[in-house]
Amino acid sequence: MKFKAFLTENGVNLLEKRFLPALDKMGKICHLYLTRDHSIFLHNLLNGDGIQSVAQFRREALFDDYRISSQNEDRIAFAVDVSLLHRALRSSVSICTEFGNGPTANRLQIKLVKKLPSNSTQPMPFLTFETKGFKSAVIQDVPISKPLSRAQLLELQTALDAAQDLPPTLVQVPDLNQLQSFVDRMKHVGDLLDVSITKYGDLHMQISTTLITLGAEFRKLLVIGEQADAPADDRNLSAQARSSRAVLRGDAQSVQVSVKHFAKSLCYYLAKPDCAFYGIAPQGACLTVIFQFFIPGSRQMDKSISLHCRLPVLDPGSS
Amino acid sequence: MESSATDSDAPDLVCQLDNVQGMVDALTAVRWKRNQDAVIEISEHGIVVIVEEMSCLQAKVYLQSELFIRYEYGEQGRPRFGVSLGLFVDCLNTFSVPGHSSTIEIRYPGPDMQLLLKSVDSLDAGIYAEIRTRIPDTISWDYNFEPAGSTPLTFTTSALKEAIDDLDWPGSSIQITVQPDPPSVTFRGDGHGDLQIDFVYYSNADLLIAFHCDRQVSYRYKYKFLRATTSNIPGSVIRDNRGSKLTIGRGGLLKVQHLVSVARTSTSHQQIDSAGHQNPSRIAYIEFFVKPEEDEDTADD
Repeated sequence: MKFKAFLTENGVNLLEKRFLPALDKMGKICHLYLTRDHSIFLHNLLNGDGIQSVAQFRREALFDDYRISSQNEDRIAFAVDVSLLHRALRSSVSICTEFGNGPTANRLQIKLVKKLPSNSTQPMPFLTFETKGFKSAVIQDVPISKPLSRAQLLELQTALDAAQDLPPTLVQVPDLNQLQSFVDRMKHVGDLLDVSITKYGDLHMQISTTLITLGAEFRKLLVIGEQADAPADDRNLSAQARSSRAVLRGDAQSVQVSVKHFAKSLCYYLAKPDCAFYGIAPQGACLTVIFQFFIPGSRQMDKSISLHCRLPVLDPGSS
Repeated sequence: MESSATDSDAPDLVCQLDNVQGMVDALTAVRWKRNQDAVIEISEHGIVVIVEEMSCLQAKVYLQSELFIRYEYGEQGRPRFGVSLGLFVDCLNTFSVPGHSSTIEIRYPGPDMQLLLKSVDSLDAGIYAEIRTRIPDTISWDYNFEPAGSTPLTFTTSALKEAIDDLDWPGSSIQITVQPDPPSVTFRGDGHGDLQIDFVYYSNADLLIAFHCDRQVSYRYKYKFLRATTSNIPGSVIRDNRGSKLTIGRGGLLKVQHLVSVARTSTSHQQIDSAGHQNPSRIAYIEFFVKPEEDEDTADD
């Protein structure tokens, strides 16, 4: 089992400034799954009831001189502490820029190693960052879990495949920052959030407790997938009435999620996505958030990066 | 008189406010506990929010009708209802978008006697809320506050807050003495050790802005109640620095008054009225009343 690669400048920027801070908010521990073509950061895919998150990079987006080999079709996966990874990368980068002379003179190598820790008799696996300075080399070892076994890896791949299904209707959130500040404030009022999404491009969210009902409705959003024209006589209704009528008509789906999960998914604004879409999976299985990234300086989707998460549904909802 | 049919349709109150943050600030100033009940009183003059504790401490926030860009009150009486203050403030706060002036509409009552709020800025994005109200179980006390001898003392809000914060260390009970010669105000705490803070009018004119006193007045107040009068003043109000007034009334009743601006915060010309300055009527008044400790015998009143 071998893995060795050089991080590109773009890769360093993506990880250090954008993705690792965002992934750290999602959860302390994630799986890093490396294949011949992709590097994937996975949260909560194998265990549990939290938000499932998948951040996938094509090899060229992060690395060059990429070498991977394993007896399991050159696939390697292990668990790693995101904040440690971020810290190691940050300090390696600072050394690189401090002593670097020229863009290619100083490169950041990342590799998988087994070492004997100082107070242990058993060798442990590490992800090692190696930076060559002017007169010195700095090596940072980030401890990782034992690589996943063939069976575990199969399980991870199955879960990953299952997490790829697209909701039939997706609506684009207009302003991620605004939505985030709203949801952050909404958190104080209650724990459960009803989310409904219509084929007309309406996103309706509501917290309801015995003392208060607090909601927000965003209308006329861009729709991808199944869409329909909003009935004209809905215009003068309240937001609640509008969305429940749309659900009855079969033009909307509604699910209940945890406000905390919803707020957490919005932390992905740290990765600086160019747009975000919300959708409800068939049968109300989960609330899916898909983030898109553009090729810098264009409005064209950057297909080498993909990021999405799936919020567990607490109640199957009314659909 | 309106018929009963229209009575059930039209709410008593419909009002719109274009600075939600100002209202949040004003109500935050009287939120000294996590779970607090407030009584809201509505009249043609405006909205009064009243919070009390153990009939020793009362706070009132006056939101006069002039603060609102629209204020329609259709009833004759003064409807009163109870809400959870924390929930009300948290809810209002969700309407306030940073860096964005937001206008809300408040209606009372809803079909189930709720307090209804909704944003009225945009057709394509809207926030709404319904807050359950209660019938208030107590009649809030009305003190008939009468000034006695020493009114009013005006401090800069930050000076008053700092002094009261510092008295946290001795804690328990604080004696406030106002005397004409030399003109000064003294806060003295005896608890775990003692601490005395003097504001001498002539030497601390930047902290104690206005002073008037005919004869010496001295009373003791429970520190936790005194603290509530300044502990939750939002930073924006302190920076605004409109001053805080402290008055000792008859029987030692202490009144602390703060002013909170509810003018539009945007830098656009809309906040400037035709006379070219900020509209002075767009100020919310906050008043705290603190009863003195009862075993008081040193009072000169």
